[in-house]
Formats: sequence, structure tokens, C-alpha cells
Amino acid sequence: MSFRRKLLLVFALTVFLSVAAVAWIVSFVTRRAFERSNEEQTAALVSQFQREFQRHADEVVHRVEAITHSETTTHMALALNRGSRESSGYLNEAGPIAESHQLDFLEFVDSPGLIVSSAQSPARFGYPENSLPNLPSLTSKSAFLKREELSDGSALGLFAVRAARVGEQPLYVVGGQRLDRNFLAGLELPAGMRAMLYQSAGTAFSPQLLIDDSGTVKQADKLSGLIVQVEREGHETTTLMHWSDNPADDETIHAIPLNGPDDKALGILLIGSSRRPYVELKRRIQSAALLVGGAGILLAILLSSWAAARVTRPIEQLAEAARSVAAGNLHTEVEIPSKDEVGDLADAFNRMTRELLEQKERLIQTERVAAWRELARRLAHELKNPLFPLQLTVENLIRAREHSPEMFEEIFRESSVTLLAEINNLKQIIARFSEFSKMPQPQLQRVQMNDVVQGVARLFQAQLESRNGGAIVYQLELEEGLEPVDADPELLHRALSNLVLNAVDAMPQGGTLTLRTKADLDLVRIEVGDTGAGLTPEECERLFTPYYTSKQHGTGLGLAIVQSVISDHGGTIGVRSQPGRGTRFVIELPRNLDRLRTPIQNDSAVVTPRR
Amino acid sequence: MRLSGWQSLAVSSLLLSAFATAELRPQYGRTLHVATRIALSSLDPADDSQPDTVARRNLTRLMFDTLVTMDSQGRVQPSLATSWQVAPGNQRWQFHLQRGVRFQDGSPLTPEAVAASLRVANPEWNVSAGAESVTIERQAHDPDLTAELSRARNGIAKRSGGNVTGTGPFGVADWQPAKKLTLSAQEGYWGGRAFLDAIEIEMGKSTRDQLIELELGKTDIAEVATEQVQRVSAAGRRVVTSASVEVMALVFARDLQSPDEGKLREALALSIDRESIRSVVLQGVGEPSGAILPNWVSGYAFVYPVAQNLERARQERNEVPHAPSWTLGYDTGDPVARVIAERIALNARDAGIALQTTTAANADLRLTRLVLASADAYVALRTVARSLELPEPRLSNSVEDLYQDETAILQTQRLVPLFQLPTSYALSPNVQDWNQDRDGTWHLEDVWLGNKP
Repeated sequence: MSFRRKLLLVFALTVFLSVAAVAWIVSFVTRRAFERSNEEQTAALVSQFQREFQRHADEVVHRVEAITHSETTTHMALALNRGSRESSGYLNEAGPIAESHQLDFLEFVDSPGLIVSSAQSPARFGYPENSLPNLPSLTSKSAFLKREELSDGSALGLFAVRAARVGEQPLYVVGGQRLDRNFLAGLELPAGMRAMLYQSAGTAFSPQLLIDDSGTVKQADKLSGLIVQVEREGHETTTLMHWSDNPADDETIHAIPLNGPDDKALGILLIGSSRRPYVELKRRIQSAALLVGGAGILLAILLSSWAAARVTRPIEQLAEAARSVAAGNLHTEVEIPSKDEVGDLADAFNRMTRELLEQKERLIQTERVAAWRELARRLAHELKNPLFPLQLTVENLIRAREHSPEMFEEIFRESSVTLLAEINNLKQIIARFSEFSKMPQPQLQRVQMNDVVQGVARLFQAQLESRNGGAIVYQLELEEGLEPVDADPELLHRALSNLVLNAVDAMPQGGTLTLRTKADLDLVRIEVGDTGAGLTPEECERLFTPYYTSKQHGTGLGLAIVQSVISDHGGTIGVRSQPGRGTRFVIELPRNLDRLRTPIQNDSAVVTPRR
Repeated sequence: MRLSGWQSLAVSSLLLSAFATAELRPQYGRTLHVATRIALSSLDPADDSQPDTVARRNLTRLMFDTLVTMDSQGRVQPSLATSWQVAPGNQRWQFHLQRGVRFQDGSPLTPEAVAASLRVANPEWNVSAGAESVTIERQAHDPDLTAELSRARNGIAKRSGGNVTGTGPFGVADWQPAKKLTLSAQEGYWGGRAFLDAIEIEMGKSTRDQLIELELGKTDIAEVATEQVQRVSAAGRRVVTSASVEVMALVFARDLQSPDEGKLREALALSIDRESIRSVVLQGVGEPSGAILPNWVSGYAFVYPVAQNLERARQERNEVPHAPSWTLGYDTGDPVARVIAERIALNARDAGIALQTTTAANADLRLTRLVLASADAYVALRTVARSLELPEPRLSNSVEDLYQDETAILQTQRLVPLFQLPTSYALSPNVQDWNQDRDGTWHLEDVWLGNKP
């Protein structure tokens, strides 16, 4: 990944994480604020309910007291005090009175506790009021919760008891208002909140007993756990209710037990607070965060691209310059963009290239001198070897003429042969040097490489078959359908012949000589392998150096000539070798000279000669 | 001219006596206004889809005569039939018709018209018309045929094109089904023209509205609900009450399914505190009863127990290990039915019986008013048996047989009689010569309207 991309990624990530962090913090703070607001609203609603409850209680007390002091009640009490146990005249009294005083429940109960008249259950006349066993104690108390048994079930109500004491026998007035959907509808609730009432029947949970201001609560079963818990534990509980898969339908439910005079839970008030506003706000924040984040990332990409370009352009110029230097162009210089660290780096780079150039000049001078010295050394060495026998032979002729004239003729004849041989040797040495200095430019033509390889093989086949020592097996692996390459067949023939000669020399005890051709993309690969002793990495490193040779008799120019030929064809030559495992020369020639290839890679010692 | 004191006194006395005589003497004319709860959609006396109530019978009798009538003593009296003979075996009856009787549309009453009318009302009868008589043949002996013929549903009607006309003292002047019926007196009525010119009957009025209209002088006759009789009387209103003409009972929807169910029904019957309901809910009107027929009809109704016996009720209940929960239906149009039903449910609960009141039609048992079909005990009992699809009582004139038949019906435990109830009306003060039989039958042909006080 490029430095610029890394820089872009870092910038984008930084912006994204920043936006995400801000969104999360805002969301967290919003949730906390909503929950706090929700708690406050719930507390306010509970307080309001308690006030409404107390207001209703006071209202019930007030109405029951009004009935107690009414003329009808007084007449009824008087009649009962006169000893009349006949309640037939009062059967329908309670109903209209309750209606006129807006009470849902009203009963007149005589001093023994028998119902004289009942608005909610007219048929209960003469029956004892069992739900309030101690009526006298309730006559001075405020209103209280009571479950009233009706013919069609039971109802929860807010009741008050007062006594009409006209004579010795009091007449009790038990009145109440039903806690039902109308009561819930009377509660002023903030938007998003609702109140529900569960009437505890003392039995298992029943969905029909859970109502809100519109009637029976839908999906009431989902609240059964909460209601049963509050019934069992008797204290307020809050829970989060998931009504559907949509989180906006979630509701925070606060359950409050409603106790009767004996502190037994008769009902449960449930205050539901919708989480829709919070969820919608959260969604808006998330949308805004996504929008801002997306825009921020886009902006970050643009800005960072610009910034990265400003930062990386000098570095890229430096990298390009470095590549140019690596390619050998030591005259490369970069522009110093600024006086910062990058400017210092560019200045240092320029100084480095200048020094490298100077060092190269010095090295060339040194190498030139060394080359001349080596040439002189080699010439001296090469020339010294035949000169010494020449000298000895001439000295031997002189001595023979002086001391053994009779043998001079024979010695002369033998010495002449030696002299001629050594002179011929000198001529060969001189010819090789001359040949190296006169390497011709290749005359390119379309050449079938397999033909060239087969020609070399044929040239040496007879020699290998008649060779003294171990036999060398020829192995030709030529790829069929190989496309022709642009090459000089004579030069390639000479180069391959050199490699084959080297391979033969490397296998004095015999072995296998492999010649292989293969197409590889735009290249043609030619391999010359032997199963000889192999080379060390150091030997491989110096193998193509002119005048270097590992053989006892050699000028060290053979592989240098091969490398020169291959290089002139735009190709490369490499050697792969390990000691004891033979050597393999690999030549890669472009099929088209217009396209040059990089040197091949190797799993062992690979050497690519410098051009 | 000056009159002396004695002369003045004499003149005044004469004037007063003349005025008083005028008030006591029946006067022709005026319209009687009647209000009723029933809302008839048909005036056909034989239309059994209409409710069989005392009020309907009375309205029917204004328009349609029967061959015979039944007097206050339960004796059959001639009406359209002047005489009749019954063949031995009480299967073949021949009725001789009055001459000169005409329907309200002017057509004469003929034996064919009578026979056609009776065939519509009683398809199972074999009715044939003679020259001046009508013969009815029954498949079995029927000594109470005349009692049956005296029922309003056997009023002689001429049916043509959806209209029905009768030979009664009043004819239909205007008819708005279920709302209002206006009757006009028939000038040529064979029994003599009624004093009233017309009768206007407002239908579908609640008893409360009727009393209000009575107070406002908009009606002359208003029905009084049983529980309101005492109050209306106490308020100084003129209230007329019949003998017991309907029995309020619990009627089970199906026959007994098992002995255990029989014990539960017995426990329910024993648990009911009839006396409390009568004294409080019915305001002391009516009689607690364990009989179907009122005592004035059968003479033995008092022998059936009516007292609450909770102890025995609980015993019976406890003998049934798994008692079902019953539903008790009641007529929502009946003002006291709800309270009585709920009271019965409370009583039943005291005995350990689960009984829930309901307004649904498919209740296990219903609180029902069974109207006495006839002052004839046999006809009345047979009608009840038919309505409950129970075996009909034997045809006998023996009281013992009647008692056994009624007891047999009660032993089926299809119904639990609770109260024998009368029917009551409040009359405006100007209604004169009001006459009513024990079974609540009116005789409006004798009524006339005086001046309002």
C-alpha cells in the first residue's frame, strides 16, 4: 500500500472514528437525558395519580356525606329506627340517588349490617355486607379501595362509608366510584404516556382485567409477569416492555400496587411511557451522524488527498530519483521543495548523488587502472608461459652447439618443433585477446531457437561419443512450436558452444548434458545443464567476470563472451548451481527485442550479470 | 221575579239532581285512549307469532267475537253461537250461529266464514259448515272445546288480501303496525253499539311512560307493572287488578339429562326465597307459588311448597359431585326480571349452585312469564304443556286428575313456578262503568267516559 493511501486511510479513519465517537456520546447523553426525563415524567404522573386519587377520594367522601345528610336517607333511617324491618320500599332508592350523585356504587346498610338498598346489586337486599365487616370503624375514615362483587364479575372502586345517626340505630351509607377506563381517561397524561389498571382478582392473571382508557389492553399477556411480580412482592417495579420487533413500540412500564384498607393489593396501576420519541431521536442522531460521517469522510478523502499529495509529491520525486540512481543515472537531482525535513532530505539526496558520481568516477579510474594491471598481469602470465620454454629451448640449442655439435642437429630439430609449438601458442593467445576485443554486433534475423540448439548438439555429438573417460549422455528437451526470435544465429551458436564446452569440461567422469528450450510469455528460455561438481556461490558470483576461470587452462574470456552475446540480444544469462549437484545456465531471450525482461529469480544462488 | 228561599232551594236541588243524574247516566261518544307495552305487528287473532298477553287478548276481543265466551265464574256463555250440541263422546260439536250478524266490512257472518276462520286458527280440527251451523269434529273426545273456543285466538275473523275483519263491537279505523291502532264503534253491532265512539291504542309504551301520560291526561288506561301497583295506588290513582293471570317461572331449556341434574334443579327450587322477592321486588303484589295454575283456577295451588329451604337445597347440591355452572336468562324488557334473576342467582349461590345471569338467548334456563291461556284449568294446563313440549294432561273433569297432571308436569322439572301475578291497570277518573273479569278480560263495550274532574 502506498504512503499516500496509508495517509488517506489514516485521515479517513480518524474522521470516521471522531464522528462515531461524537454520535455515540450524543446518543448516550440523549438516552440518559430521555431516561431521566422519563423517570421524572413517571414520577410526575404517579404524583398526579395520587393527587387525582386523593381528589376522587375526597369527592367520594363528599358525595357520600351529602347522601348521608339527605332527606331521603334521614327518612330511611327514621323508618328503620322505628323498628320497620321492611325494606321493600327502598329497593329502588339507591339507584336513582347514586345516579344523581354520580356514584357508581351506593348501598344503604342497616345497623346489623344488612343491605337495605343497593344501586349496583339491587338483588342483594337483605344480604349482609360481608366485604366491610367493621362498618362503624370506617365512618370517620377517608375513602379507600375496595373490590365490589357484582353479578357480572367484580369491580375495583374508591369507597367511603358514613353513618346517618338519626336514632339509636345508625344507617350506613356506603358509596363509591368505579376505577375504570373513565377514571383512567380522567388522568391528564403527557403525550406518549398512558395509564393502565389491573384489577387483582386474587386468582391467576386474566387479560380481561387489564384495561386502559380505551378498554381492554392489547397483548395484555405480555404484562402478566410484571403484574404477578408486583402482586407477589407488593412494591413498585419498572420494566421495559417490547411490544414488537420495532424498538419504537417499546414502552417503559412503571407498576404501582394499589392497596386496600388491609394493605392487600387490590389493583395495580401501570404507567406506560412510550420510547418512541427516544428511538426516533436516536434514529435522527444516527442518520445525522451517518450523514455527517459520510460527508466528513468524503471531505477527509479530498483534504487528505490534497494534503497527502503535498506531503508525498516530494517523496515520490525522491523515490523516482532514487530509482533513476539505482538504474545508473547518477546525474539525477531533485528539486528542493521547501526548507523543512523533506527539503533537507532532498538536499541530502542531491549531495549523495553528487558524491556517488564522484566516487564512480574515482572507481572507474581505479578499475581502469586495475583492468590494465590485470590485463598486463594476464598478458605477462600468458606470454611468460610460452616464453619460458622458448628461452629454455634457445638456451638448449646454444648449449648443444657449444658442447654437443654432433647432437645439435637432432636437438635443433626437436627444439624447432618446440619453438614452433610455443610460438603457435603465443599466436593463439594473441588471437583470443584480439577476438575478445573484436566482438561483432549481432546481425538479427528470425531464428528458430530449436534449430540453433540442435545444430550445437550435432556439432558436439561425435566428440562426446568418442570421448575418453566417462560417457556423457545427451538429453534434448525442446519445446515444440517454439516461436522464432530475433537473433544472430552465428553468435548464439558460438555462445551455446561455449556453454556446452564448459559443461563437458565440468563432467570429466561423464554425466548428463541437458539442452532445453521453453517458451515463457514473451521470452524463450534456453537451458544448458550438466551433472558435474557444481559451483560455490562465490564462484557463481565471479563466473562472468572477464579473465576469471576456475579451470587450469583457460583465458577466463569464454563466459564473458557468452554474457556479451546474450546481452547484445537483449537477454539475460544466469547460473543455478549447488556444489555436487551440477550446474545449469539459463538464457532468456526476448522474442522481440523491443521488450526487455528483468532477470529471473532463483531458489538458490542466482546471479544476474551487470551489463 | 224574585224567588223565595224555599223556591230557590227547590230550583237548586232540581238542577243539582239533574246534573248528578247526567254524570251517572252512560253517555255515548268520546274517544278512549289506551296505552300498552305490547307492539303488535298483526291484528290476526290466530297469528301465534304475536305475544299472547292479556292486553292482546283484550284488544282482540274488541274487534273479534268468539262463538262462545266464558263468564267470571268460568261458565261458557253464548256469543256468536246461540246454542250448541255435543255428540256422545265429546268429539262432535255443532254450533248454531246468530242470525243477522255482519262483519265490519258489511258482509254477513256465515257458517262458511266461521268454519274458515276456525280452520286457520286450528288446522288440526275438522270444521264443516252447515246451513246455519258449524260442526267441529275432534279426533279424540274434547269436553273443553267450548273453553278453547272462548279464547281470543279463536275469534272469528274474515281474512282477505292481508286484511282481517271481525264482528266485534269495534272496527279498525286506522292501523299503524306496532305503533297505533284506532278503533271505531260499530253502529250495527249485534250486541248493541258501544258507548264510546272510538278507542285509540298507543303501542310500545313503557309502563313508566304510560303512567306519565296518565298523569298528563293523555291516556285513560295505563298498564301498571306489578312492582308499581302499591306505589301507584298509594299515589291515589285508581288501579284495577285482575286475579292471577300469569305465572312467573324458571323454565329450563332442555329436559332432564341425568338424576344429578334433577337434584340440582330441585336444589335450585328449594334455594329460592320467594317471599323476599315478592315483598321487596314485587312490592307485595302477587303470590309465591309452586303451582302452574293459580289457586282460583285449580283450587289446590296452595299444596305445592313455596318456602325457601336452604338446608335441604345444600344437601341436594352436595349429593352432586360435579355441578355445572348454569346461565339464567331474563327478558330485558321486563323491569323487574333482572333484579329477580339476580336475586335467584344469589339464592342459588347460597346453596352452592353456580348461576350466572345473562341476557343471551341461549341460556340454560330463563325467567319467564307464562300467561294463563284460559280460565279453564284444563285448557290453561294444556297450553303450558304444549309450550314446553311436554305430554298433555288427560282430558278429565276430575280435580284429582288435574292435580296429578299438573304434578306430573312439575315433576319433569322443566319449570320451577315462582309467583302467580295479576295484571293491573291505572284508570283515569273519567272512565266509567269499568268492568273486568277475573282473568283480566275487559268489557270496554260497557265503558263510557264522563267529564274530567
